[in-house]
Formats: sequence, C-alpha cells, structure tokens
Amino acid sequence: MIRVESLHKVFGPKPDEALRLLAEGRSKDEIREATGDVIGVQDVSFELKPGEFFVIMGLSGSGKSTLLRCINRLIAPTSGRVLLQTDDGEVDVAQAGPSELRRLRQEHLAMVFQRFGLLPHRTVRDNVAYGLEVQRVGRAERVRRADETLEMVGLGGWGGVLPAALSGGMQQRVGLARALATGAKVLLMDEPFSALDPLIKMQMQEEMIRLQRQLGRTIIFITHDLDEALRLGDRIAIMDDGRFVQVGAPEKIVTEPRTPYVADFVAHADPTGVITAGTVAVPPEHPRVDELRREPGARVLAHRTQADVEIEVADDGRVLGVRADGAGAELVPIDTLLAEEAPTSRYRDRAAVVRADRTLRTLLAARNLCNLPVLVVDDEERLVGFVTEREIIHAIIEKRGHNGDANGVTA
Amino acid sequence: MNALLTDAVFDPIRIPLDRWFNDFINWLTFNYRPTFQAMKVPVEALLDGVSAVLLWLPPVVFIALVAIMAWRVAGWRIGVLAGASFTLIGMVGLWGLTMVTLSMVAASVLVCLIIGLPLGILAARSDRFQAALRPVLDVMQTTPAFVYLVPVVMLFSIGTVAGVIATIIFALPPLIRLTDLGIRQVPDDVIEAAEAFGSSERQVLFKVRLPLALPTIMAGVNQTIMLALSMVVIAALIGAGGLGRPVVEGLNALRIGQAGIGGLAIVLLAIVLDRLTQAFGAGAKRG
Repeated sequence: MIRVESLHKVFGPKPDEALRLLAEGRSKDEIREATGDVIGVQDVSFELKPGEFFVIMGLSGSGKSTLLRCINRLIAPTSGRVLLQTDDGEVDVAQAGPSELRRLRQEHLAMVFQRFGLLPHRTVRDNVAYGLEVQRVGRAERVRRADETLEMVGLGGWGGVLPAALSGGMQQRVGLARALATGAKVLLMDEPFSALDPLIKMQMQEEMIRLQRQLGRTIIFITHDLDEALRLGDRIAIMDDGRFVQVGAPEKIVTEPRTPYVADFVAHADPTGVITAGTVAVPPEHPRVDELRREPGARVLAHRTQADVEIEVADDGRVLGVRADGAGAELVPIDTLLAEEAPTSRYRDRAAVVRADRTLRTLLAARNLCNLPVLVVDDEERLVGFVTEREIIHAIIEKRGHNGDANGVTA
Repeated sequence: MNALLTDAVFDPIRIPLDRWFNDFINWLTFNYRPTFQAMKVPVEALLDGVSAVLLWLPPVVFIALVAIMAWRVAGWRIGVLAGASFTLIGMVGLWGLTMVTLSMVAASVLVCLIIGLPLGILAARSDRFQAALRPVLDVMQTTPAFVYLVPVVMLFSIGTVAGVIATIIFALPPLIRLTDLGIRQVPDDVIEAAEAFGSSERQVLFKVRLPLALPTIMAGVNQTIMLALSMVVIAALIGAGGLGRPVVEGLNALRIGQAGIGGLAIVLLAIVLDRLTQAFGAGAKRG
C-alpha cells in the first residue's frame, strides 16, 4: 500500500553535506558542529500492507511528527522515497510535481491533526466536506457524503453548527470525519487524541478500533503514549532521535524490548491488553509442571503452585478432565463464564478454557471467576499450557512470559 | 529673533532641500503631468457614478434604505440613529453637500479596497515586500494632511477629483496594514490542514486565509473610512466640494453658524459610518 525507503530529513543550511557526513558514520553532534544542520529523520524505511494499523511512538523531539509530514510532504524530505500504491501504479510522493502532489493529497493521503485544524468560520458539515470541495465535487454530493461520514463518527445531526460549539472530543470526530470523507486509503494521524481528556481519549480509541474494523484504511498513527500504541497498533515502531529503534507487534515490543530506551517505555506500560495467554502459560514440559502419573493414552499433570489440582491430558494434547478436591470439574470456555450475568461462587468446580491469542486481561478475568488453573488451548483445542496466579503476576511485573525463569533469570 | 540666530549656526552646512523638493515636483509636473492627469479619469468616472446615484435618490428613499440596513446589520438603535441623523442633516439644509461628501468617501474607499487588499495580501505573503512597503506606509500615515495637498495640487490640479486622490493616499495605509496583519494571524495549524487536503494556494487564500482574516480586514476598512471622511473635509482647501466647503468658508468669513452645522453634519456622518462598519466587522467575527 505504502512503502517508505531510506527517508532522511535534514533541517539547516547544508543538507547534502550533512547527508554525506551521515553516510560516513559521523554522529549527529559532529554534523551539527560541522554544518549547523539538525537531522530530523534518519534512514527510516517501512512498508505497510493495505488495512494495516501502524503506530509510530516516540517522545517529543524524536522526529515522529516530521516523519509523518514527510509522507504527505507538508515537510519536504531531504532524500528517500515515499511510494504510494494508486490505481495508476506506484507513485513517489517525494518526487511528485505540484499538481500531482495536490491530487495525491486530495485522493490518497488524508490527515488528522493533534489540534484538530478545523476552519472556525465553517459549519461542521462544511468542514467535513472541505476535502471534497477542494476536489471540486458538486455541492449536493458533498453534503450527502459529509452527512454520511458524520453519521459514521457519531455526529449525525451536528452538521449545521460551528466547531466552536463542540467539545474537544467532538471536534476531533469532525477532524476524523473530514479525513474519512475523501475516501483516501491512507490515513495519517498526528497525535489525534493527545489533546483530549483521558476518558474521552479512551472512547476515541475504541471508536477508532470500531471504525477501522468497518473501513479497513491503512493508518499511520503517531503517539507519545505507549498504552495507546499497544491498544491500537497492528505493528508499532519506536522512534528515538530520528530513527526507528524497534518495529514489531505490540506483544513483541512489550515482552522483548530491544534497547534500554524501549525497555524504559515498556516499564510504565500496562501489559494486560497486550501479552497473550499463549505467552503467559507454562507448557506441560516446564519444570514448574509435574507429571503425577501416566494412564493409558494420557498423562496426569499438576502445576507446582496448585499441586492439589490434577489435570488429565490426552497424548494428542486434548484436555480430558480436571479434578480438584477429589471431584471432577467442568471445563467451560472463558466467554461462557464472562457472559454469566451474576458471578457465581463455583470457584473450584469449574475450570476456564482460553485460546492462546487472548490477552492477559482475559486471564485475569478467568482467574477471578474460578480458582483452578486456566487451561490455554490452541485453535484445535490442544493444550498449550496452564496459567495460575504465579504466571499472571510474573507477566505483569516482568512483562514477559514464563521463559524468563526457565533460564534462571528470576527465582 | 533668537530662533533665527540659532539657525545661523548651521549656515556652513545648510542644504537647500526646499529648492530640491521644488525642483523635483517641477520636474515631475513638467514631465509626467499628463500621466497624473490620466490617473484622474477612472477616479472621476467612479466619483461621478456614485454621486449621480446618491443625488438622484429621493432623500426619503435614501433615509429609509440606510435606516433599514443599519437596523438589519447593527440593531434597531443604530437604525433609529442613522435615520434620525440623515433627517437632521436634511433639516439643516446640508443634504446635497452631504451626498457629495458621501460619494467622495465611497469612491475613495472603493479605490482603497481595490489597491489595498491586493497589497495587503502580498505583504502578508512576502516578508521582503512587507519590509519594503512599511516605510512607504509610515510616510503616508505620518505626513500631516495639509502637506499632502501641495504636491497633489501640482500634479492633479485643484477640485473634487484631486481631493479624492489626496484622500485615497491618506486613507490607504490602515487597510493594507490590517489586511497584512489579519492574514498573518491565521493559525498555522489551519493552513496546514488545508494544505494536507490538497488545497491550491489560491484555495488556501480564498477559503481559509481571507475568511479568517475578515474581522481584522473589516477593522481596517472601518479605519480607512474614518480617515477618508476626515480627509475629504480638509480637501475643501484645494477646492473639493461637499461638507468641507461650508466649514472652510465659514472659518474664513467668521460665519460660526455655517461652519458649525457643517461640522455637525460631518460628525453625524462619521458616527453612522463607524457604527455600521463596526457592526459588519463583528458580523464577520461571528462567521
């Protein structure tokens, strides 16, 4: 959908000289001394599939906003390519002529801004229709599509008021609607929720997830908030000092931070929505799991911290039964448990079954409803491992799976 | 006596700037007078057109129109004020002169808009142009009104059209300055958003910059109108018609009453025009 290749942005009087020094491996400070140039973005490359939600996370000054603006050339990149898939083949935004650039911005690259950037003298409807107006779409069609998009972001009926009459969250919905209304396949979002109250921010994130499920746009989303990045991103790039220091799935970022900088971020993040059950669970072969005995075609296992609970696993990996306090417990899928209206007190006669791709938060909920080890299974119902408090606490504190202490890192 | 003696100190380094100025104006007049005279043609046509309409309109119709417009734009109080002011002007026998003054103001403000808006827009877009324009505007604004009249008479001769041209020069600066300021004050994030959606420069100008600068531009229009009104009166000194004439004649002949009602009519006209344009500006702010 979009491919960025070796993008650089140098601010200052001698960008070519600075690039040359950079290629020679000089440090940024040396380059600033020699040329007076500041490196804003250094050698960033990535490729997005259609419908991917890509989050770029970094602190202020890390170059993330500059990078985003290089993509639609609100800031001209110093070198590198921004290749955009269009109906007429691949186009390099960085090389497009003025009218070509305007067309790309009109039809392919919509943007949402941190400070909304709405036109205060126009109604909400005319703000949403702005992108279409610039494309010279007729008035009736503009109004129709603007109202449709407003409906989609939950602002149906607000078309006639001025933006100043709306709250911050609602204004950003207008900003979002404006970007969606043009039908652009690529959405550039520059810290769109950073100016909002925490509660509104959370609502907007959920709204965003819902809309994305419905619309499947390709999104590049900038944030300085790791929790937001973890919640929204299919993939996350961590940016520091103009470079990508790590790119990966949210869970990988949290469980395997590659640099101290990333680890520092992760230390303050909430892992419960990111780390998956498959990562947390101890597999049957783990030292913390004891094999009590063998039976024909099956093994009876127990987790060391809950040794009184026997778990019988068939040789093909299916869980045959769980016995606690001498009686068989019922195996119940987690969603059935969560759907129960009133919490029951059947803590020890039911065991929750959870798929490996569910989150740590789901495991917490499961442990809250029944006290037996949670059984983590794959798509074919084969046992992946167990989860007790031991694993959950470990995952929250250490932000990784069971592997850590297997290697003797933690006691 | 003392003052003259002190001046004598500078005799060794005295420069004959007065003569140079004189020579310059003479040179300009001698070589370019036809050019300057030609510049009068469009101004004269505009002025004649406006005053023909204003003098043709029956006073009752004019008063009704102004009162209704003021009521719609600025509320019923200003509507009543406007209607009453123009009725009073008619009652003191100055209707015709007031219409002449009003057409001079209208013609000069129109020309100011035609010249001033594009210059203001250019100044907002280019720091260099703004820097070049600034001293010119400073001179235009600080030169006392009477001083203008000398070169104007030399180049454009005397009369109402010459008066209007002096008025245009005098009233133009605030419009340019405030158009420039208004456009520069448009927040960057809004401009950036417009550009991100693929607006051309022209679209950014007409759909974003100018609408957002409008309240400030209207404040400039208001100031330009007020300056124009004060200048058309002074222009009576070089033979321009309108309300300045009874004031100047009254002063010369010590006919206090005549000068007084002339002054009264000018004040009433100024108040009505001021309230009206301010209301327009506030309307632009509300969007």
